[in-house]
Amino acid sequence: MTLLVGSPHGTTPTPPKPPKRRTFGRIAADQRVGLLALIAVLVIVFASLRSAFLDEQFVIFPLLRDISTLTVVGLAQLAVLSIGHLNIAVGRMAAFGAMFMGISYEMWHLPLYAGLVIGIAAGAGIGALTGVIITSSGVNSFVVTLAMDFALLGLISLVYSSFTTAAAFTVKPAGMNELRQYTLADVCVGDLCGSGAIPQLAIFTVLALAVVGYLFSRARAGREMLFVGSNPVAAELSGIPVHRRIIGAHALSGGLAALAGFMLAVTSGSFTAGIGSEFMLPSFLGPVLGGTLLTGGAVAVIGTLLGTSLTQVIRQGLTMLGASVESLSISLGAILLVALSFDRIRHVITLRKAVPR
Amino acid sequence: MTSLSTLAPRAVFRSTESTLAILAAAGFAALAIASDGSLLSGSSLETLFTYLAVPVLIGLAQMVALAVGQMNLSVGALGGFVAVAAGSVMAHQGVPAWLAVLGALVLGAAVGAINGLVVVLTQINGFIVTLATMTILTGLQYEVVGTATLSDYSPGLRELGRTSVFHIPVIFLVAIAVAVALAVYLRRAIWGRRLLASGGNPLAARLSGISNNRAIILAHCLSGLLIGVAAVVTLASAPGVNQSIGGDWLLASFAAPIIGGVALSGGAVSVTGTVLAALIVRLVDVARAQFSLDPSWVNFVVGAVVLGTVVITHRRGASA
Repeated sequence: MTLLVGSPHGTTPTPPKPPKRRTFGRIAADQRVGLLALIAVLVIVFASLRSAFLDEQFVIFPLLRDISTLTVVGLAQLAVLSIGHLNIAVGRMAAFGAMFMGISYEMWHLPLYAGLVIGIAAGAGIGALTGVIITSSGVNSFVVTLAMDFALLGLISLVYSSFTTAAAFTVKPAGMNELRQYTLADVCVGDLCGSGAIPQLAIFTVLALAVVGYLFSRARAGREMLFVGSNPVAAELSGIPVHRRIIGAHALSGGLAALAGFMLAVTSGSFTAGIGSEFMLPSFLGPVLGGTLLTGGAVAVIGTLLGTSLTQVIRQGLTMLGASVESLSISLGAILLVALSFDRIRHVITLRKAVPR
Repeated sequence: MTSLSTLAPRAVFRSTESTLAILAAAGFAALAIASDGSLLSGSSLETLFTYLAVPVLIGLAQMVALAVGQMNLSVGALGGFVAVAAGSVMAHQGVPAWLAVLGALVLGAAVGAINGLVVVLTQINGFIVTLATMTILTGLQYEVVGTATLSDYSPGLRELGRTSVFHIPVIFLVAIAVAVALAVYLRRAIWGRRLLASGGNPLAARLSGISNNRAIILAHCLSGLLIGVAAVVTLASAPGVNQSIGGDWLLASFAAPIIGGVALSGGAVSVTGTVLAALIVRLVDVARAQFSLDPSWVNFVVGAVVLGTVVITHRRGASA
C-alpha cells in the first residue's frame, strides 16, 4: 500500500507530512504533527459544542496554567525514562521540594526566587540520593522509588504537622500572587501587549523545555544518558560513566519535580503536603503520548508538551460537556493504554530498522 | 545432605524468614509489655488479627505478580471496585451472599486475567498497563458507588466477619488458609512450578517448553483472584464499603513481599516471609496507636524499612 494515492473521499483533511520516504518509521516520527492536528481538531470540536471553551479568562488561562505545570511533571518523568528507569516518587519529590520552599518563606523569610532555588536543590538532592541507592544496590528503579515514596510521604506529613498549624505554609513572599495572576497581557513592549490567555507561569515551562531539550539533543551528558537507556552494557563498555549518568538523570528528575511543585503551589496559593499527589498518572501520560520510549534511549521533549496538552484539552472539554470525574479517569486510563499500544508498535519498528544492513 | 551450592539460596531464605519471625515475636513482646499486657486480651488480639487479613492477602497478590517479574499497581483499585460491585448487587439487587462472593472472586480473577492478556499481547511493561487499569478501575468504583457508603448488605456475611474462634477472627483464618493453599500450589502444582521457573529465567523456561506468556497471564489472574478474596474479606469486616476502599492498599501490598524477601526480579517467592512482613507492618501500626503518634510515622517507618531491606538484601547478595 502506498500513501501517495489520494484518499478515497478526497475531501478528508490529512495532517501535513514531510515529503519523501513515507515508510512506517517516517510516519511514526511524525507523531508530533499528528498530536498537534488532534489537539486542533479537539479544540475546534469542543469550542463548537460549548462556546465558553474559548473564554480567555476562565477556561484558556487555567487550562494553559495546568498544562504548564503538568508539562514540567512530564519532563521530570522523561528525565528518568531516558535511561529506562521509572520514578514513582515524582509527586512526592515535588512535595519535598515544595516543603523546603515553604520553610524558606515561612521560617527563613527568604525572597521568592531564593526559596525556589533551595527547593529545586532539595528536589535534585533527593533525586540524586535515589540514584545513588539504585546504582549502589542494583535494585530496579521502580522498587527504590516506590520505597522512597513511602518514606517521603511519612516524612513530609510529619514535617507539616510539626511545623505548621493548618498543615500548610501560607506565607506568600513578594511576587507570588503576581506570578499566579499575571498573563502576557501584563507584559508590554511599547503599545504591543501579549495575550491575556497566556499565564506568566508558563515561562518556567519554556525554560525547562529549553534546558531539557538542549541536554538531550546537544549536550554530552544528555546524549550519554540516552546511550545508557538504550544499552547500559554497551554504554559501560564504551567508557561512559553509567553510574554518574543514572544519578544525574534521577537528580534532574527530582529537580524538575520540585519546580512543578513550586508551580502548583503558586497556582493554589499555599505549600501543603498534598502537593504532587495527583502527579503520577500525568507524569507518564505526557511523555508516553509524546513518543518517549518506556524502555529508554529515546525522548520526546516537545512531544511531552503536546501529550500533556492533549490530555488536558480532553479533560477540560469533557468536563465542560458535563462528564463526571469518574468517567474522566476511565477515559484517561483508556488513552494511556491505547497510546502504549502505539508505543509498542513504534518500538518494534525501531528495532526492525536498527537490525539489518 | 544436599550439596552446599543447592543449599545456599534456600538457607538465605530460611534466614530471612527466621529473622522476620524473631523480629515479629520481639515486636509483639515489646508491645505487650508496653501496653501492660492489654495487647494480650481477647479483644485486642481480635482487632490485631482482623486488620491483618487484608494486608496478608494483598501482599500475597503482589507477591504472585512479582514472582513472574511483573507488578500489579491495580491492587487497591481492583479490590475497591470488586468490593463495591459485590456490595452493591447484594444491597440493591438482592443477590444472595454466596453468589455475590463467588461473583467477586470471578470478577477479580477476570480483571487480573485481562491485565495479563494486555501485558502479553502488547508486550508493554506490566507496571504501566496496571497503572492504566488502576485509573480505569478507580473510575468504575466511583461510578458504581458514587459518594454513598453501602452498609445494608448480607447480615450473614457481616456476622461471619465478626465471628472469632478462640479470639482468632474467621477472616484471618481465611487469609491463612489462602496463604497455605498458595504456598502448596507454588511448591507442588505443575503450573505453580512453571510460574516460578518463568519468573526466574524466562529464556531457560522457554527452552524447557514453558510458555512465558501463559505464566504471566496466570500470575496476573491469580493476583486478581487473591484481590477478590481481599475484597470479600473487606466486605465482611468493614463497617461499610465506599469509594475510599482500596485507596491505601498499593503501598502496603508492596511492603509485605519486599520486606518478606521476595526476589524482585522474579523466580523466588516466600509466602511465610510475606505473611510475617505483613504482621510486622501491622505491629508498627499497633505501636503507633499505642503511643498515639501521628499516622504519618507508619508510612515513614515502613518506607525506611523497605529502603533499608532493599539495600541490605542486595549488599548481602553481592558479598555472598
